Amino acid sequence: MSADQTNVDTFTIQIDGQPVAVQAGQTVLGAARQLGLDIPTLCYLEKCGPLNSCLVCLVKINGRLVPSCGTQVQPGMAVESETSEVHEARRTALELLFSDHVGDCLSPCNRLCPLGLNIPLMLRQIQAGHHAEASATLRGTLPLGGVLGRLCHHPCEQGCRRGHWDDPAGIRNLERFVSDWDSGRISPEATVPGETRTPGEGRDAASRPAPAPINPLCKPATGKSVMIIGAGPSGLAAAYYLTRQGHRVTVAHRQARAGGSLRAVPEADLPAAVLDAEIALLAKLGVTFQAGVTLGDEVTVEALSREADAVLLAVGKLDPQQAARLGVPVAGGLVRSDPNTCKTPLGKVFATGAATREVRQLVRAMGEGRAAAECVHRFLTSQAVRRPEKVFSSVMGRLDPGELRQFLASASAGHGVSPCDRCAGLSRPEAVAEASRCLHCDCRSSGNCVLQHYAQAYGADANRFRAERKGFEQFPQPSGVIFEPGKCILCGICVKLTEIAREPLGLTFIGRGFDVRVAAPLDRTIQDGLQKVAEECVRHCPTGALVFADDGNLASQST
Amino acid sequence: MNAGSPFALPTLAPTPQREPLPAVDLAFVDESINRCGRKPDATIPLLQALQDHYGYLPREALERICRQTEITPAAISGVASFYDMFRHEPVGKHIVRVCRGTACHVTGADRVEEALRRYLGIAPGHDTDPGGQYTIEQVACLGCCTLAPVVRVGDHTFGYTASEKVPGIMDDFHKAHANGGEERSTEELLPAGTGKAQIRIGLGSCCIAKGSDDIFHTLQDAVKETGADVEIKRVGCVGMCHRTPMIEIAEPGKAPSFYAGLAPEAARELVLERFRWVGWRHRLSRVWTRALNFALEEAEHEPAEQSRMDTRAPEVSAFLGRQVHIATEQFGEVDPLNLDEYVNHGGFASLARCLETHDGEGHTLHRFRQGQPAGETSADRSPLTPPQVIDIIDRAGLRGRGGAGFPTAAKWRLARQQTSPEKYVICNGDEGDPGAFMDRMLLESFPYRLIEGLAIAAVAVGAHEGIFYIRHEYPLAVKRIRAALKICQQRGMLGDRLLGTDYPLRLTIKEGAGAFVCGEETALIASIEGERGMPRLRPPFPAQEGLWGKPTIINNVETLAMIPWILRHGADAFAAYGTRTSKGTKVFALAGNVRRGGLIEIPMGTTLREIVEEIGGGVQPGRRFKAVQVGGPSGGCVPARLADTPVDFESLREVGAIMGSGGLVVLDDSACMVDIARYFLQFTQNQSCGKCTFCRVGTRRMLDILDRLCTGRGQKNDLSELERLAAQVGAGSLCGLGKTAPNPVITTLRYFRDEYEAHLKGRCPAGKCTALIQYFVTDHCTGCTLCAQHCPVDAIPVTPYVRHVIDINKCTRCNTCYQVCPHDAIEVK
Repeated sequence: MSADQTNVDTFTIQIDGQPVAVQAGQTVLGAARQLGLDIPTLCYLEKCGPLNSCLVCLVKINGRLVPSCGTQVQPGMAVESETSEVHEARRTALELLFSDHVGDCLSPCNRLCPLGLNIPLMLRQIQAGHHAEASATLRGTLPLGGVLGRLCHHPCEQGCRRGHWDDPAGIRNLERFVSDWDSGRISPEATVPGETRTPGEGRDAASRPAPAPINPLCKPATGKSVMIIGAGPSGLAAAYYLTRQGHRVTVAHRQARAGGSLRAVPEADLPAAVLDAEIALLAKLGVTFQAGVTLGDEVTVEALSREADAVLLAVGKLDPQQAARLGVPVAGGLVRSDPNTCKTPLGKVFATGAATREVRQLVRAMGEGRAAAECVHRFLTSQAVRRPEKVFSSVMGRLDPGELRQFLASASAGHGVSPCDRCAGLSRPEAVAEASRCLHCDCRSSGNCVLQHYAQAYGADANRFRAERKGFEQFPQPSGVIFEPGKCILCGICVKLTEIAREPLGLTFIGRGFDVRVAAPLDRTIQDGLQKVAEECVRHCPTGALVFADDGNLASQST
Repeated sequence: MNAGSPFALPTLAPTPQREPLPAVDLAFVDESINRCGRKPDATIPLLQALQDHYGYLPREALERICRQTEITPAAISGVASFYDMFRHEPVGKHIVRVCRGTACHVTGADRVEEALRRYLGIAPGHDTDPGGQYTIEQVACLGCCTLAPVVRVGDHTFGYTASEKVPGIMDDFHKAHANGGEERSTEELLPAGTGKAQIRIGLGSCCIAKGSDDIFHTLQDAVKETGADVEIKRVGCVGMCHRTPMIEIAEPGKAPSFYAGLAPEAARELVLERFRWVGWRHRLSRVWTRALNFALEEAEHEPAEQSRMDTRAPEVSAFLGRQVHIATEQFGEVDPLNLDEYVNHGGFASLARCLETHDGEGHTLHRFRQGQPAGETSADRSPLTPPQVIDIIDRAGLRGRGGAGFPTAAKWRLARQQTSPEKYVICNGDEGDPGAFMDRMLLESFPYRLIEGLAIAAVAVGAHEGIFYIRHEYPLAVKRIRAALKICQQRGMLGDRLLGTDYPLRLTIKEGAGAFVCGEETALIASIEGERGMPRLRPPFPAQEGLWGKPTIINNVETLAMIPWILRHGADAFAAYGTRTSKGTKVFALAGNVRRGGLIEIPMGTTLREIVEEIGGGVQPGRRFKAVQVGGPSGGCVPARLADTPVDFESLREVGAIMGSGGLVVLDDSACMVDIARYFLQFTQNQSCGKCTFCRVGTRRMLDILDRLCTGRGQKNDLSELERLAAQVGAGSLCGLGKTAPNPVITTLRYFRDEYEAHLKGRCPAGKCTALIQYFVTDHCTGCTLCAQHCPVDAIPVTPYVRHVIDINKCTRCNTCYQVCPHDAIEVK
């Protein structure tokens, strides 16, 4: 239909039945992108031309799967892109790549954190003295950082790989350090050994502008309002996440002061001043608090749901009489709600926290609040309501001693600060020392990694193919580049970039078949190979195979 | 560009070496550079020169190349690590090559390798013995499939090996090596025949491996000694590999007589007995010798008459009867290197017709027009324009013999249409399929026919450069093509004036460096250009953009071998053979568990059963014909019940196989189909270039599953995952290698699923998978102790006259006891 209607140079092709005007010589990938289709690519970089190695950009043309990045449009072409068959092929390509991918996207501590704090990043920032950035990382992910830094049962530390060697990194204490630092509770006296510091001079990290708690950015206002009943851990956490999504949040609570069960914690464990400061931060973020509101006689759920676009019950553990007066269906002393959507049987009323299920730990209660916030947010933005998806992560599993030693090589030796529940918190030198014990076993590319991105988008199962894992290898270069061959998907971009730039040595493929690897020629180092285009290669590496060691230190990646 | 390299190496701290190697004399590097050139396409020839000279690629030598040429460090490291033939560390004095071709695999190559390693003391994970004497190496295929399993030690090829024969093989090698090692060539040019009596002896690689060269020299000596009036004639492959070494005595006016399986002494005897001694001194010595032999009763040599083969015997006529010789025309009759003989049989007549429109020195061209095979009177000699040539090939219905069966004429026509003044033609002799050796045989036996075929292709598409790309594992093929090219050039038939006309055609040879994937057109081109042999996406097709970006046609050896015949006999004569979609004949290498292996050329449409049972004589007595593996690693296993499938491109595809390049490996009931699938996948996995995800990782994950199955670690959903992944790898891979790699798995899963299921339950019905089987001694044991004596791991205590017992914990399942037991008392369960 299209071949005869136009001249030689421009014509129309069909992608999934949609016509798209193209020019001769253009690729199918380019045409699809014109239509706004997000065909995944890993090995495609315009400058390099089609490398046709990753094959995740497959489309179906004339009954055959072909890589769209290397296929030129032809008049009359009919392309299938977003079909289940094509998606399955792309997913398989991703899964095959993961079956030979050595490395964790997220460190175990990050994966174990119910709130998903990027701990290694925060620790790198502390270690480098970039405390403001560390604060941004903390405050950008955690509500009530100062509280968690004192009370969290720190599942992160149980998973810490450093713990397989001596002691886990003291993550909770470091959280507390960051929140104390940004709230001005850390004495500025102590310096880090080796640090020359002129008091009052803004030359080094310790003496940057006076610290202040950093409130993360919120998305533009949506115009939707949410009423949260209850100002305990779940309610406050939900308030934090919903506010950041741009919704107008009001937290109504029975007591005079917000905090719910946190108010019952002894002063020695959680000073009231710290809690007050954290709640003040939430207010500063935009959360409105209404004290002295009790559900029941005067205030009914029904009335609230008329006023707000959504209602979230986070009233904490119910006593029997209270349950009866709530005005929502209750079963077995718990508010009835769908665990997958947090929805109660009443239209726009959601419920979370100890009111709906038994929650033992603080951070889990806050995790529940976060999940409920996601459900409410999706409800308000007319998306399918569900709990947040786990961030995709390739999982390397247990390390053998040799692998562990490679990680240890870049960390400082020595045991951790003795875990003290009631101690006064870490001083700055102590914090820097503790942070430098981190093995940085996360992937510095996580969040920017194209492979991870599409794995998440395509629902890839990183463990579909059980296979013997290759050993983890890490080659830190003096230039600051880290090369981790196990994460290399052999896309060939860096090889091509060095060729284009006429690097004296460059990089090349070594070997053949399954054992192919990227390396510098003649047994030289990666650094030798990357004398001109290291930065470009790191920037275009679709995974975390080539990264800068200090990537992410200077600016927080969290949003 | 300057002679100096733009990629001067930066001065960097030297990387510490593991252990100091002896200093390398770099003069050879400079010399090689002067010989091979400084451009990137010299990379592989240069590396080959270094490999031959040093035995490995010393790093200093590679660095020297980078400094002295335009070849970059990245290119040289990438290429050197891509191809199998290059080694990066010094090797032992002698290379022991164990063929891992299909035929060798099904006849027990892995056990032979294990025995060799044990005998030579090469530890697992190493390839060289501690003394640095021997380096063991697996070779994809030595192309001597009918002698399987095959081992090559140094330059000596040993066929029909077995684990218990290993000590003998090494002894033989030592003896041969100790004899000074000066080898007599079989390749010197021989005078043209004079019409007198001839003794013809096939001297293809596998004939030589079976000792034909010894017989050749013995015969030559005998003639010299006696002055007998007979010509000892080297001919190409005789096809009947199962009967070699074989000679044919052709005397004018007499029916030819054949002698098979001759020993050198018997061959000598034959000359002495049969031909008249010339000169009185010779006659006298003959009488004297006879008397002496009689007196001493020393003449114990097997009388030659026992080796005499009756060509009318049913087994011989069954083997030869169905064959039609087009690519193998005059097989067993002509000297591969004798140009005059080729011309006298009509050689170059077809090419001459194609050049009619070109100005030429009438004499040269005329001479080739004269050539006409004996007995043919009606050969058409009218001139042919290139479009006419293409039309004839089109009407003949010739399809590429390399595997996929793409119409040859269509390829040529596309290349002809291209306006580029520069075009290339390439003869694809990178026959990498384990279990196939047709192309080697054709290259070794009919070099002039291939030169003519390639030249016709060049003229038809308008190319002035042609390349023979031949895998380096075929040294004799390279030698013969090189010799034939040289002779043609000397006679002024090639180069500036093709057959003396004003049509220039330059033909050269490029040797492969050991990579199966280079059989793929685009990978082959990359390899010629001096790069890693990685395929690229088509289109554009090589006929549009090929070598150096110019239109290039690449034809398989066998395809080109058919061209002169088709032009000489006409399209109809060719199309008269074959089926509706597949015309003409096909050459097959018949090997595996079959009684009469060899090289055959049969009309398309012949059924697999006719090939296996009539031509091949079926499987060994007592065994059951189970399947035929057609098409090598890209093909599939056709079960015996579908053996009536005719051989043509479409029918084979329907049953899940492909024609491939023509390897036919017959499997009997001793073959485990899961093991066969695993074998092929191991091969393709090993040969994958590693570029695209599906092939690089996908084939490995399939192999993982097959490995689990063969070692009793299979899991419930393994079969469904294997099936699913096989389909995805086939659909998603970039090039033909990956697209067809799952075929052996898919077909065995389709036809032999019960065997897969048995493996899931930890049982190998064929008793092949060593992790799943055990050896026992039955009541038949007489206590002869033979097994105990031969057991390499002392798993059988010596208990004379008492039934022996195998210690299952010590047993490595090497099968030696099974082979040596004279009473069939070893049972495998």
